[in-house]
Amino acid sequence: MADQVPPPVPTDEELNTYIRTRYALLGIDISVLPGSDSDAPMDQERLLANGRSILRQDAEVAGFEIDPQFNLPMPFPAPFTAWTEG
Amino acid sequence: MPPQDELVSRRWFLNRMAWVSSAAAVGATLHAGPAIAGPPGMRMPDEAFAPSVRPQVLDDLTELTLSETMTLVRGGRLTPADLVNAYVDRIEAYGDIYQAYADRPTRADLLAQAARTPVGGAEAPFRGACLAPKDNFYTADLLTEGGSLVYEGFRPDYDATAVSLMRAAGGLVVGKAQMGNLAGGRARRYGTTIPTTRNAWTPDDVRYSPAGSSSGTGSAVAGRLAVVGIGTQTGGSVIGPGNAEGLTCIKPTFGRVSLHGVIPLSYTRDHVGPMARNALDAAILLQVLAQPDPNDPRTLGLPPAPNYVLAATPFGGDRPRVRWPTRVGIWPDYLSGDNTQVTQLRTSFIEELERNPAVQVVPDVTLPDQWDELTSAPLGGSHGDPTAFFIEHLRKDVRNFADRLPRFLNGMLQSADTYVKVQQARNLLRHRMLTQLFNQCDVVLTTSTGAFDGTGLPLLCMPIGFDMEPDNGNRVPRGVVMAAPPFGEERLFAVAAAWQAITDFHQVRPPDPA
Repeated sequence: MADQVPPPVPTDEELNTYIRTRYALLGIDISVLPGSDSDAPMDQERLLANGRSILRQDAEVAGFEIDPQFNLPMPFPAPFTAWTEG
Repeated sequence: MPPQDELVSRRWFLNRMAWVSSAAAVGATLHAGPAIAGPPGMRMPDEAFAPSVRPQVLDDLTELTLSETMTLVRGGRLTPADLVNAYVDRIEAYGDIYQAYADRPTRADLLAQAARTPVGGAEAPFRGACLAPKDNFYTADLLTEGGSLVYEGFRPDYDATAVSLMRAAGGLVVGKAQMGNLAGGRARRYGTTIPTTRNAWTPDDVRYSPAGSSSGTGSAVAGRLAVVGIGTQTGGSVIGPGNAEGLTCIKPTFGRVSLHGVIPLSYTRDHVGPMARNALDAAILLQVLAQPDPNDPRTLGLPPAPNYVLAATPFGGDRPRVRWPTRVGIWPDYLSGDNTQVTQLRTSFIEELERNPAVQVVPDVTLPDQWDELTSAPLGGSHGDPTAFFIEHLRKDVRNFADRLPRFLNGMLQSADTYVKVQQARNLLRHRMLTQLFNQCDVVLTTSTGAFDGTGLPLLCMPIGFDMEPDNGNRVPRGVVMAAPPFGEERLFAVAAAWQAITDFHQVRPPDPA
Protein backbone atom coordinates (compact mmCIF):
# COMPACT_ATOMS: atom_id res chain seq x y z
CA MET A 1 0.00 0.00 0.00
CA ALA A 2 1.38 3.40 -0.94
CA ASP A 3 2.13 5.91 1.77
CA GLN A 4 -0.73 8.25 2.45
CA VAL A 5 -0.14 11.72 1.06
CA PRO A 6 -0.79 14.40 3.69
CA PRO A 7 -3.56 16.83 2.80
CA PRO A 8 -2.58 20.31 1.66
CA VAL A 9 -1.81 22.78 4.41
CA PRO A 10 -4.83 25.06 4.97
CA THR A 11 -4.42 28.61 3.77
CA ASP A 12 -4.90 31.70 5.92
CA GLU A 13 -8.18 32.35 4.19
CA GLU A 14 -9.46 28.86 4.93
CA LEU A 15 -8.46 29.19 8.57
CA ASN A 16 -10.12 32.60 8.82
CA THR A 17 -13.36 31.07 7.56
CA TYR A 18 -13.02 28.24 10.06
CA ILE A 19 -12.41 30.67 12.94
CA ARG A 20 -15.32 32.93 12.06
CA THR A 21 -17.58 29.90 11.73
CA ARG A 22 -16.47 28.49 15.04
CA TYR A 23 -17.19 31.74 16.86
CA ALA A 24 -20.52 32.20 15.09
CA LEU A 25 -21.52 28.67 16.05
CA LEU A 26 -21.09 29.67 19.70
CA GLY A 27 -22.97 32.92 19.27
CA ILE A 28 -19.94 35.18 19.36
CA ASP A 29 -19.88 38.12 16.99
CA ILE A 30 -16.45 39.45 16.12
CA SER A 31 -17.73 41.67 13.32
CA VAL A 32 -18.30 44.42 15.90
CA LEU A 33 -14.52 44.88 16.00
CA PRO A 34 -12.86 47.15 13.46
CA GLY A 35 -11.47 45.24 10.50
CA SER A 36 -7.96 46.63 10.77
CA ASP A 37 -7.06 49.43 13.12
CA SER A 38 -3.77 49.27 14.93
CA ASP A 39 -4.87 52.10 17.22
CA ALA A 40 -7.85 50.15 18.47
CA PRO A 41 -7.38 47.87 21.51
CA MET A 42 -8.25 44.95 19.24
CA ASP A 43 -9.25 44.46 15.62
CA GLN A 44 -10.36 41.51 13.50
CA GLU A 45 -7.05 41.29 11.70
CA ARG A 46 -5.06 40.74 14.90
CA LEU A 47 -7.68 38.44 16.34
CA LEU A 48 -7.68 36.19 13.29
CA ALA A 49 -3.89 36.14 13.13
CA ASN A 50 -3.80 34.97 16.73
CA GLY A 51 -6.47 32.36 16.01
CA ARG A 52 -4.54 30.98 13.05
CA SER A 53 -1.46 30.71 15.24
CA ILE A 54 -3.38 28.74 17.84
CA LEU A 55 -4.76 26.36 15.24
CA ARG A 56 -1.35 25.76 13.72
CA GLN A 57 0.09 25.12 17.16
CA ASP A 58 -2.32 22.22 17.48
CA ALA A 59 -0.41 20.46 14.74
CA GLU A 60 2.84 21.12 16.56
CA VAL A 61 1.50 19.70 19.82
CA ALA A 62 0.12 16.65 18.06
CA GLY A 63 3.65 15.82 16.97
CA PHE A 64 5.02 15.84 20.51
CA GLU A 65 5.49 12.28 21.70
CA ILE A 66 4.86 11.60 25.35
CA ASP A 67 4.56 8.21 27.02
CA PRO A 68 0.83 7.69 27.62
CA GLN A 69 1.59 5.38 30.56
CA PHE A 70 3.29 8.14 32.52
CA ASN A 71 2.71 11.82 33.18
CA LEU A 72 -1.03 11.62 33.33
CA PRO A 73 -2.83 14.91 32.77
CA MET A 74 -3.48 16.01 36.33
CA PRO A 75 -4.39 19.64 36.65
CA PHE A 76 -4.35 19.75 40.46
CA PRO A 77 -1.32 17.83 41.69
CA ALA A 78 -1.01 19.26 45.17
CA PRO A 79 -4.06 17.65 46.82
CA PHE A 80 -2.84 14.23 45.81
CA THR A 81 -0.06 14.62 48.33
CA ALA A 82 -2.29 13.22 51.02
CA TRP A 83 -2.34 9.91 49.27
CA THR A 84 1.37 9.45 49.63
CA GLU A 85 1.22 9.51 53.40
CA GLY A 86 1.37 6.29 55.35
CA MET B 1 13.04 20.26 62.17
CA PRO B 2 13.86 20.28 58.46
CA PRO B 3 11.82 22.47 56.09
CA GLN B 4 8.70 21.03 54.54
CA ASP B 5 10.12 20.51 51.08
CA GLU B 6 12.43 17.86 52.54
CA LEU B 7 9.62 16.04 54.28
CA VAL B 8 6.97 15.85 51.61
CA SER B 9 7.81 16.54 48.06
CA ARG B 10 10.32 13.85 47.21
CA ARG B 11 7.99 11.04 48.00
CA TRP B 12 5.11 12.85 46.38
CA PHE B 13 6.81 13.13 43.06
CA LEU B 14 8.81 9.97 42.95
CA ASN B 15 5.84 7.82 43.93
CA ARG B 16 3.40 9.60 41.72
CA MET B 17 2.25 6.48 39.95
CA ALA B 18 1.61 4.78 43.27
CA TRP B 19 -0.79 7.45 44.34
CA VAL B 20 -2.60 7.45 41.07
CA SER B 21 -3.44 3.80 41.46
CA SER B 22 -4.28 4.16 45.14
CA ALA B 23 -6.63 6.97 44.25
CA ALA B 24 -8.81 4.58 42.37
CA ALA B 25 -9.07 2.36 45.41
CA VAL B 26 -9.70 5.04 48.01
CA GLY B 27 -11.54 7.63 45.99
CA ALA B 28 -13.87 8.30 48.87
CA THR B 29 -11.08 10.09 50.72
CA LEU B 30 -11.36 12.80 48.11
CA HIS B 31 -14.33 14.22 49.93
CA ALA B 32 -12.88 14.03 53.42
CA GLY B 33 -11.04 17.32 53.47
CA PRO B 34 -9.89 18.87 56.70
CA ALA B 35 -12.07 21.49 58.30
CA ILE B 36 -11.08 25.12 58.01
CA ALA B 37 -8.37 25.86 60.53
CA GLY B 38 -8.08 29.58 59.95
CA PRO B 39 -9.13 32.53 62.02
CA PRO B 40 -10.83 32.89 64.36
CA GLY B 41 -8.87 30.59 66.56
CA MET B 42 -5.70 30.69 64.49
CA ARG B 43 -2.67 31.62 66.55
CA MET B 44 0.03 33.71 65.00
CA PRO B 45 3.53 32.54 65.93
CA ASP B 46 5.19 34.79 68.48
CA GLU B 47 8.05 35.49 66.08
CA ALA B 48 5.62 37.52 63.97
CA PHE B 49 5.58 40.32 66.51
CA ALA B 50 8.62 42.54 66.11
CA PRO B 51 10.73 42.49 69.28
CA SER B 52 11.43 46.18 68.70
CA VAL B 53 10.10 48.90 66.46
CA ARG B 54 12.41 51.18 64.51
CA PRO B 55 12.09 54.55 66.27
CA GLN B 56 12.74 56.53 63.12
CA VAL B 57 9.50 55.33 61.51
CA LEU B 58 7.16 56.20 64.36
CA ASP B 59 6.53 59.67 62.97
CA ASP B 60 4.76 58.18 59.97
CA LEU B 61 2.66 55.12 60.74
CA THR B 62 2.59 54.11 57.07
CA GLU B 63 6.32 53.42 57.38
CA LEU B 64 5.70 50.62 59.84
CA THR B 65 5.96 47.07 58.65
CA LEU B 66 3.09 44.69 59.31
CA SER B 67 5.14 43.03 62.05
CA GLU B 68 5.83 46.37 63.71
CA THR B 69 2.18 47.36 63.37
CA MET B 70 1.06 44.15 65.03
CA THR B 71 3.45 44.70 67.91
CA LEU B 72 2.31 48.26 68.55
CA VAL B 73 -1.39 47.42 68.37
CA ARG B 74 -1.02 44.41 70.62
CA GLY B 75 0.90 46.52 73.10
CA GLY B 76 -1.78 49.20 73.12
CA ARG B 77 0.60 51.84 71.74
CA LEU B 78 -1.42 52.18 68.58
CA THR B 79 -5.09 51.80 67.77
CA PRO B 80 -6.72 50.57 64.56
CA ALA B 81 -8.17 54.06 64.15
CA ASP B 82 -4.67 55.56 64.22
CA LEU B 83 -3.70 53.30 61.36
CA VAL B 84 -6.84 54.03 59.37
CA ASN B 85 -6.31 57.75 59.65
CA ALA B 86 -2.64 57.54 58.69
CA TYR B 87 -3.32 55.48 55.58
CA VAL B 88 -6.40 57.40 54.49
CA ASP B 89 -4.48 60.67 54.92
CA ARG B 90 -1.83 59.37 52.58
CA ILE B 91 -4.31 57.97 50.11
CA GLU B 92 -6.14 61.27 50.00
CA ALA B 93 -2.88 63.12 49.48
CA TYR B 94 -1.41 60.91 46.76
CA GLY B 95 -4.05 58.45 45.63
CA ASP B 96 -4.88 60.36 42.46
CA ILE B 97 -1.25 60.27 41.43
CA TYR B 98 -0.48 56.63 42.17
CA GLN B 99 -3.90 55.47 40.90
CA ALA B 100 -3.35 52.28 42.85
CA TYR B 101 -6.98 51.73 43.83
CA ALA B 102 -10.05 51.07 41.73
CA ASP B 103 -12.52 51.34 44.61
CA ARG B 104 -12.13 52.05 48.28
CA PRO B 105 -14.24 52.59 51.37
CA THR B 106 -14.64 55.99 52.99
CA ARG B 107 -12.69 56.99 56.06
CA ALA B 108 -15.91 56.71 58.08
CA ASP B 109 -16.53 53.18 56.79
CA LEU B 110 -13.03 52.14 57.72
CA LEU B 111 -13.18 53.71 61.16
CA ALA B 112 -16.46 51.90 61.78
CA GLN B 113 -14.89 48.63 60.68
CA ALA B 114 -11.84 49.33 62.82
CA ALA B 115 -14.06 49.78 65.85
CA ARG B 116 -15.55 46.35 65.21
CA THR B 117 -12.29 44.46 64.68
CA PRO B 118 -11.82 41.66 67.17
CA VAL B 119 -9.66 42.48 70.14
CA GLY B 120 -6.79 40.15 70.74
CA GLY B 121 -3.17 39.54 69.98
CA ALA B 122 -2.39 36.20 68.50
CA GLU B 123 -6.00 35.46 67.50
CA ALA B 124 -6.58 38.76 65.70
CA PRO B 125 -3.04 39.69 64.73
CA PHE B 126 -3.97 42.00 61.85
CA ARG B 127 -6.14 44.27 63.94
CA GLY B 128 -6.23 47.59 62.11
CA ALA B 129 -3.75 46.56 59.42
CA CYS B 130 -4.62 48.29 56.14
CA LEU B 131 -4.60 45.81 53.28
CA ALA B 132 -4.76 46.03 49.48
CA PRO B 133 -6.25 43.01 47.74
CA LYS B 134 -6.14 43.02 43.97
CA ASP B 135 -9.43 43.84 42.33
CA ASN B 136 -10.07 40.26 41.26
CA PHE B 137 -10.75 39.20 44.87
CA TYR B 138 -14.45 39.28 45.64
CA THR B 139 -15.47 41.81 48.30
CA ALA B 140 -19.05 42.12 49.40
CA ASP B 141 -18.72 45.78 50.33
CA LEU B 142 -16.66 47.03 47.40
CA LEU B 143 -16.74 46.70 43.64
CA THR B 144 -14.81 43.84 42.07
CA GLU B 145 -14.14 44.75 38.47
CA GLY B 146 -11.04 42.81 37.51
CA GLY B 147 -9.60 45.81 35.73
CA SER B 148 -12.06 45.29 32.92
CA LEU B 149 -15.25 46.44 31.27
CA VAL B 150 -16.34 42.81 31.52
CA TYR B 151 -16.89 43.17 35.27
CA GLU B 152 -17.67 46.88 35.40
CA GLY B 153 -20.07 47.56 38.26
CA PHE B 154 -19.85 44.02 39.65
CA ARG B 155 -20.42 43.78 43.38
CA PRO B 156 -20.23 40.21 44.70
CA ASP B 157 -22.39 39.15 47.61
CA TYR B 158 -19.55 37.52 49.51
CA ASP B 159 -15.84 37.92 50.20
CA ALA B 160 -13.17 35.74 48.64
CA THR B 161 -11.81 33.25 51.14
CA ALA B 162 -8.46 35.05 51.21
CA VAL B 163 -10.18 38.34 52.02
CA SER B 164 -12.32 36.65 54.66
CA LEU B 165 -9.24 35.23 56.34
CA MET B 166 -7.49 38.59 56.44
CA ARG B 167 -10.59 40.31 57.79
CA ALA B 168 -11.16 37.60 60.37
CA ALA B 169 -7.63 38.26 61.54
CA GLY B 170 -8.59 41.91 62.12
CA GLY B 171 -7.38 43.36 58.82
CA LEU B 172 -9.09 46.19 56.95
CA VAL B 173 -9.44 46.39 53.19
CA VAL B 174 -8.34 49.96 52.57
CA GLY B 175 -8.87 49.67 48.83
CA LYS B 176 -9.31 47.33 45.90
CA ALA B 177 -6.08 47.50 43.97
CA GLN B 178 -6.10 48.26 40.27
CA MET B 179 -4.92 45.48 38.01
CA GLY B 180 -4.28 44.60 34.42
CA ASN B 181 -7.31 43.84 32.29
CA LEU B 182 -8.59 40.44 33.50
CA ALA B 183 -5.19 39.73 35.06
CA GLY B 184 -3.02 40.58 32.09
CA GLY B 185 -0.51 43.41 31.69
CA ARG B 186 -0.27 46.62 33.74
CA ALA B 187 -3.38 48.40 34.99
CA ARG B 188 -5.10 50.52 32.36
CA ARG B 189 -8.19 52.58 31.89
CA TYR B 190 -10.89 49.98 31.30
CA GLY B 191 -11.26 48.93 27.68
CA THR B 192 -8.22 50.90 26.53
CA THR B 193 -4.44 50.64 26.46
CA ILE B 194 -4.00 53.88 28.42
CA PRO B 195 -1.96 53.15 31.59
CA THR B 196 -3.22 54.22 34.99
CA THR B 197 -1.30 52.92 38.03
CA ARG B 198 2.12 54.50 38.48
CA ASN B 199 5.14 52.66 39.72
CA ALA B 200 5.67 53.98 43.26
CA TRP B 201 9.34 54.61 42.43
CA THR B 202 8.45 56.88 39.56
CA PRO B 203 5.18 58.48 40.67
CA ASP B 204 5.69 61.43 38.35
CA ASP B 205 6.49 59.33 35.30
CA VAL B 206 3.75 57.04 34.02
CA ARG B 207 6.05 55.60 31.37
CA TYR B 208 7.94 53.44 33.85
CA SER B 209 5.74 50.43 34.34
CA PRO B 210 4.69 48.99 37.68
CA ALA B 211 4.50 45.69 35.76
CA GLY B 212 1.41 43.55 35.96
CA SER B 213 -1.01 42.32 36.48
CA SER B 214 -0.97 42.97 40.26
CA SER B 215 0.09 46.54 39.53
CA GLY B 216 -2.11 48.30 42.06
CA THR B 217 -1.19 46.06 44.94
CA GLY B 218 2.48 46.54 44.16
CA SER B 219 2.21 50.32 44.01
CA ALA B 220 -0.03 50.50 47.07
CA VAL B 221 2.38 48.52 49.25
CA ALA B 222 5.53 50.20 47.94
CA GLY B 223 3.93 53.65 48.01
CA ARG B 224 2.68 53.14 51.58
CA LEU B 225 -0.99 53.21 50.72
CA ALA B 226 -1.30 49.78 52.37
CA VAL B 227 0.93 47.81 54.68
CA VAL B 228 0.68 44.56 52.70
CA GLY B 229 -1.50 43.20 49.93
CA ILE B 230 -2.41 40.16 47.92
CA GLY B 231 -2.06 39.66 44.21
CA THR B 232 -2.63 36.74 41.92
CA GLN B 233 -0.20 35.07 39.57
CA THR B 234 -0.93 32.96 36.52
CA GLY B 235 2.12 34.06 34.57
CA GLY B 236 4.41 36.23 36.68
CA SER B 237 1.76 38.67 37.94
CA VAL B 238 2.96 38.80 41.55
CA ILE B 239 6.68 38.38 41.04
CA GLY B 240 6.81 40.90 38.17
CA PRO B 241 5.25 43.83 40.05
CA GLY B 242 7.08 42.75 43.19
CA ASN B 243 10.46 43.19 41.55
CA ALA B 244 9.38 46.34 39.73
CA GLU B 245 8.39 47.93 43.06
CA GLY B 246 11.22 46.64 45.29
CA LEU B 247 8.93 44.34 47.27
CA THR B 248 9.29 40.91 48.78
CA CYS B 249 6.57 38.64 47.45
CA ILE B 250 5.84 34.95 47.57
CA LYS B 251 3.96 32.90 45.05
CA PRO B 252 3.33 29.75 47.10
CA THR B 253 2.91 26.18 45.95
CA PHE B 254 -0.23 25.63 43.88
CA GLY B 255 -3.20 25.06 46.14
CA ARG B 256 -1.62 26.52 49.25
CA VAL B 257 -4.00 29.51 49.27
CA SER B 258 -7.66 29.30 48.34
CA LEU B 259 -8.78 30.77 45.04
CA HIS B 260 -12.44 30.70 45.99
CA GLY B 261 -13.92 34.08 45.19
CA VAL B 262 -11.15 35.10 42.80
CA ILE B 263 -12.06 35.92 39.21
CA PRO B 264 -10.44 32.96 37.47
CA LEU B 265 -7.98 33.04 34.64
CA SER B 266 -6.76 29.45 34.71
CA TYR B 267 -7.97 26.65 36.95
CA THR B 268 -4.55 25.07 36.74
CA ARG B 269 -2.13 27.99 37.04
CA ASP B 270 -3.74 30.66 39.22
CA HIS B 271 -2.07 31.38 42.56
CA VAL B 272 -2.68 33.90 45.35
CA GLY B 273 0.51 35.65 46.44
CA PRO B 274 1.31 37.92 49.40
CA MET B 275 3.08 41.16 48.48
CA ALA B 276 5.01 42.90 51.25
CA ARG B 277 7.93 45.14 52.08
CA ASN B 278 10.04 42.38 53.59
CA ALA B 279 10.18 38.61 53.95
CA LEU B 280 8.77 38.54 57.46
CA ASP B 281 5.65 40.45 56.46
CA ALA B 282 5.12 38.19 53.45
CA ALA B 283 5.44 35.16 55.71
CA ILE B 284 3.02 36.59 58.28
CA LEU B 285 0.43 37.15 55.57
CA LEU B 286 0.96 33.70 54.10
CA GLN B 287 0.57 32.23 57.58
CA VAL B 288 -2.95 33.65 57.72
CA LEU B 289 -3.85 32.71 54.15
CA ALA B 290 -2.49 29.16 54.00
CA GLN B 291 -5.63 27.38 55.12
CA PRO B 292 -7.58 24.51 53.62
CA ASP B 293 -10.88 25.70 52.18
CA PRO B 294 -13.78 23.33 51.50
CA ASN B 295 -14.86 25.72 48.75
CA ASP B 296 -11.61 25.12 46.88
CA PRO B 297 -10.68 21.44 46.60
CA ARG B 298 -7.25 22.41 45.34
CA THR B 299 -6.39 23.42 48.91
CA LEU B 300 -7.45 20.15 50.50
CA GLY B 301 -5.22 17.24 51.36
CA LEU B 302 -2.04 19.27 51.50
CA PRO B 303 0.40 18.89 54.37
CA PRO B 304 -0.47 21.39 57.11
CA ALA B 305 1.08 24.81 56.71
CA PRO B 306 4.37 24.98 58.60
CA ASN B 307 5.66 27.96 60.57
CA TYR B 308 6.48 30.35 57.72
CA VAL B 309 7.05 33.16 60.18
CA LEU B 310 9.82 31.29 61.94
CA ALA B 311 11.43 30.53 58.59
CA ALA B 312 11.40 34.25 57.75
CA THR B 313 12.89 35.29 61.08
CA PRO B 314 16.59 36.14 61.07
CA PHE B 315 18.69 33.26 62.33
CA GLY B 316 22.18 33.10 63.69
CA GLY B 317 22.33 36.19 65.88
CA ASP B 318 25.24 38.50 65.06
CA ARG B 319 26.28 36.26 62.19
CA PRO B 320 23.02 35.73 60.29
CA ARG B 321 22.85 32.62 58.19
CA VAL B 322 20.22 30.64 56.36
CA ARG B 323 18.28 28.59 58.87
CA TRP B 324 18.88 25.27 57.09
CA PRO B 325 21.88 24.11 55.05
CA THR B 326 20.82 25.08 51.55
CA ARG B 327 22.23 24.53 48.09
CA VAL B 328 21.48 27.59 45.96
CA GLY B 329 21.62 26.88 42.25
CA ILE B 330 22.39 29.54 39.68
CA TRP B 331 20.44 29.53 36.43
CA PRO B 332 22.46 29.13 33.23
CA ASP B 333 23.42 32.54 31.79
CA TYR B 334 22.22 34.21 34.98
CA LEU B 335 25.18 36.58 34.90
CA SER B 336 25.34 37.27 31.20
CA GLY B 337 22.40 39.60 30.65
CA ASP B 338 22.55 42.84 28.67
CA ASN B 339 22.12 45.10 31.70
CA THR B 340 25.55 45.31 33.30
CA GLN B 341 24.21 47.06 36.40
CA VAL B 342 21.78 44.21 37.03
CA THR B 343 24.54 41.69 36.45
CA GLN B 344 26.70 43.48 39.02
CA LEU B 345 23.90 43.41 41.57
CA ARG B 346 23.31 39.72 40.96
CA THR B 347 27.04 39.04 41.28
CA SER B 348 27.16 40.86 44.63
CA PHE B 349 24.15 38.91 45.83
CA ILE B 350 25.75 35.59 44.92
CA GLU B 351 29.03 36.62 46.56
CA GLU B 352 27.12 37.34 49.75
CA LEU B 353 25.44 33.95 49.53
CA GLU B 354 28.87 32.34 49.21
CA ARG B 355 29.89 34.00 52.46
CA ASN B 356 26.89 32.49 54.23
CA PRO B 357 28.11 29.40 56.13
CA ALA B 358 24.85 27.53 55.54
CA VAL B 359 24.83 28.07 51.79
CA GLN B 360 26.47 26.07 49.07
CA VAL B 361 26.29 27.90 45.76
CA VAL B 362 25.87 25.62 42.75
CA PRO B 363 26.88 27.57 39.64
CA ASP B 364 25.29 26.90 36.29
CA VAL B 365 22.77 24.24 37.13
CA THR B 366 21.75 22.14 34.16
CA LEU B 367 18.15 22.39 33.06
CA PRO B 368 15.86 19.39 32.65
CA ASP B 369 15.69 17.55 29.36
CA GLN B 370 13.60 19.22 26.65
CA TRP B 371 13.43 22.39 28.76
CA ASP B 372 12.76 24.76 25.87
CA GLU B 373 10.14 22.51 24.34
CA LEU B 374 8.31 21.91 27.62
CA THR B 375 8.36 25.49 28.87
CA SER B 376 7.49 27.51 25.78
CA ALA B 377 4.30 27.73 23.77
CA PRO B 378 2.40 25.75 22.84
CA LEU B 379 3.31 22.94 25.29
CA GLY B 380 4.26 25.30 28.09
CA GLY B 381 1.24 27.53 27.66
CA SER B 382 -2.26 27.62 29.00
CA HIS B 383 -4.10 29.36 26.21
CA GLY B 384 -7.17 27.17 26.43
CA ASP B 385 -7.96 27.80 30.06
CA PRO B 386 -9.83 31.10 30.35
CA THR B 387 -12.44 30.63 27.67
CA ALA B 388 -14.88 28.48 29.57
CA PHE B 389 -15.45 31.00 32.35
CA PHE B 390 -16.32 33.86 30.06
CA ILE B 391 -18.56 32.52 27.32
CA GLU B 392 -21.58 34.62 28.29
CA HIS B 393 -19.45 37.74 28.45
CA LEU B 394 -18.01 36.93 25.03
CA ARG B 395 -21.49 36.56 23.58
CA LYS B 396 -22.52 39.88 25.09
CA ASP B 397 -19.80 42.03 23.50
CA VAL B 398 -16.28 40.98 22.60
CA ARG B 399 -15.17 44.62 22.67
CA ASN B 400 -15.31 44.58 26.47
CA PHE B 401 -12.24 42.34 26.49
CA ALA B 402 -10.20 44.99 24.64
CA ASP B 403 -6.61 43.92 23.95
CA ARG B 404 -7.03 40.73 25.95
CA LEU B 405 -9.70 39.27 23.67
CA PRO B 406 -7.55 36.62 21.94
CA ARG B 407 -6.60 35.08 25.27
CA PHE B 408 -10.27 34.53 26.04
CA LEU B 409 -11.25 33.14 22.66
CA ASN B 410 -8.37 30.76 22.16
CA GLY B 411 -9.94 27.92 24.08
CA MET B 412 -12.60 27.61 21.41
CA LEU B 413 -9.94 26.85 18.86
CA GLN B 414 -7.71 24.57 20.88
CA SER B 415 -8.58 20.91 20.53
CA ALA B 416 -9.29 18.67 23.50
CA ASP B 417 -6.37 16.39 22.65
CA THR B 418 -4.03 19.36 22.65
CA TYR B 419 -5.35 20.44 26.01
CA VAL B 420 -4.76 16.96 27.45
CA LYS B 421 -1.28 16.82 26.01
CA VAL B 422 -0.42 20.22 27.47
CA GLN B 423 -1.42 18.91 30.89
CA GLN B 424 0.66 15.77 30.34
CA ALA B 425 3.64 17.85 29.31
CA ARG B 426 3.23 19.99 32.41
CA ASN B 427 3.29 16.92 34.59
CA LEU B 428 6.36 15.62 32.79
CA LEU B 429 8.06 18.96 33.31
CA ARG B 430 7.11 18.99 37.00
CA HIS B 431 8.64 15.56 37.46
CA ARG B 432 11.82 16.52 35.63
CA MET B 433 12.15 19.74 37.61
CA LEU B 434 12.32 17.67 40.75
CA THR B 435 14.51 14.89 39.47
CA GLN B 436 16.76 16.87 37.11
CA LEU B 437 16.86 20.38 38.62
CA PHE B 438 16.10 20.18 42.33
CA ASN B 439 18.39 17.19 42.63
CA GLN B 440 21.21 19.70 42.15
CA CYS B 441 19.96 22.40 44.52
CA ASP B 442 17.30 23.29 47.10
CA VAL B 443 16.67 26.79 45.79
CA VAL B 444 17.47 28.19 42.38
CA LEU B 445 18.01 31.77 41.25
CA THR B 446 16.10 31.95 38.03
CA THR B 447 15.29 34.25 35.16
CA SER B 448 12.33 32.12 34.15
CA THR B 449 9.08 32.31 36.12
CA GLY B 450 6.61 30.84 33.65
CA ALA B 451 7.77 27.28 34.10
CA PHE B 452 7.24 27.56 37.84
CA ASP B 453 3.75 28.95 37.38
CA GLY B 454 2.74 26.08 35.13
CA THR B 455 4.12 23.47 37.47
CA GLY B 456 2.82 25.12 40.62
CA LEU B 457 6.19 25.48 42.32
CA PRO B 458 6.89 28.32 44.77
CA LEU B 459 8.68 31.54 43.84
CA LEU B 460 9.92 34.45 45.93
CA CYS B 461 11.24 37.83 44.83
CA MET B 462 13.08 40.45 46.85
CA PRO B 463 15.16 43.56 46.22
CA ILE B 464 18.93 43.35 45.89
CA GLY B 465 19.76 46.94 45.01
CA PHE B 466 19.04 49.88 42.74
CA ASP B 467 20.14 51.11 39.40
CA MET B 468 19.39 53.86 36.94
CA GLU B 469 16.69 53.08 34.41
CA PRO B 470 18.32 53.87 31.07
CA ASP B 471 15.13 55.05 29.36
CA ASN B 472 14.15 57.73 31.86
CA GLY B 473 17.01 58.19 34.32
CA ASN B 474 14.92 57.13 37.31
CA ARG B 475 16.51 55.29 40.22
CA VAL B 476 14.57 52.05 40.48
CA PRO B 477 14.86 48.85 42.50
CA ARG B 478 16.13 45.57 41.12
CA GLY B 479 15.35 42.18 42.53
CA VAL B 480 16.01 38.49 42.32
CA VAL B 481 13.61 35.61 41.79
CA MET B 482 14.19 32.37 43.65
CA ALA B 483 12.32 29.12 43.09
CA ALA B 484 12.02 25.97 45.19
CA PRO B 485 10.46 22.52 44.97
CA PRO B 486 6.89 21.94 46.17
CA PHE B 487 6.22 23.28 49.67
CA GLY B 488 9.62 24.96 49.66
CA GLU B 489 8.29 28.29 50.96
CA GLU B 490 10.19 28.00 54.23
CA ARG B 491 13.43 27.52 52.37
CA LEU B 492 12.76 30.63 50.27
CA PHE B 493 11.87 32.69 53.32
CA ALA B 494 14.99 31.49 55.11
CA VAL B 495 17.28 32.63 52.31
CA ALA B 496 15.45 35.96 52.08
CA ALA B 497 15.60 36.47 55.84
CA ALA B 498 19.35 35.87 55.89
CA TRP B 499 19.83 38.42 53.12
CA GLN B 500 17.55 41.03 54.66
CA ALA B 501 19.25 40.63 58.04
CA ILE B 502 22.43 42.14 56.60
CA THR B 503 21.06 44.53 53.96
CA ASP B 504 18.58 47.39 53.98
CA PHE B 505 17.35 47.52 50.38
CA HIS B 506 13.96 46.34 51.64
CA GLN B 507 13.79 49.30 54.02
CA VAL B 508 14.39 51.99 51.41
CA ARG B 509 11.11 53.68 50.50
CA PRO B 510 10.28 55.41 47.24
CA PRO B 511 10.16 59.22 47.17
CA ASP B 512 6.83 60.92 47.57
CA PRO B 513 5.30 62.37 44.42
CA ALA B 514 6.53 65.86 43.59
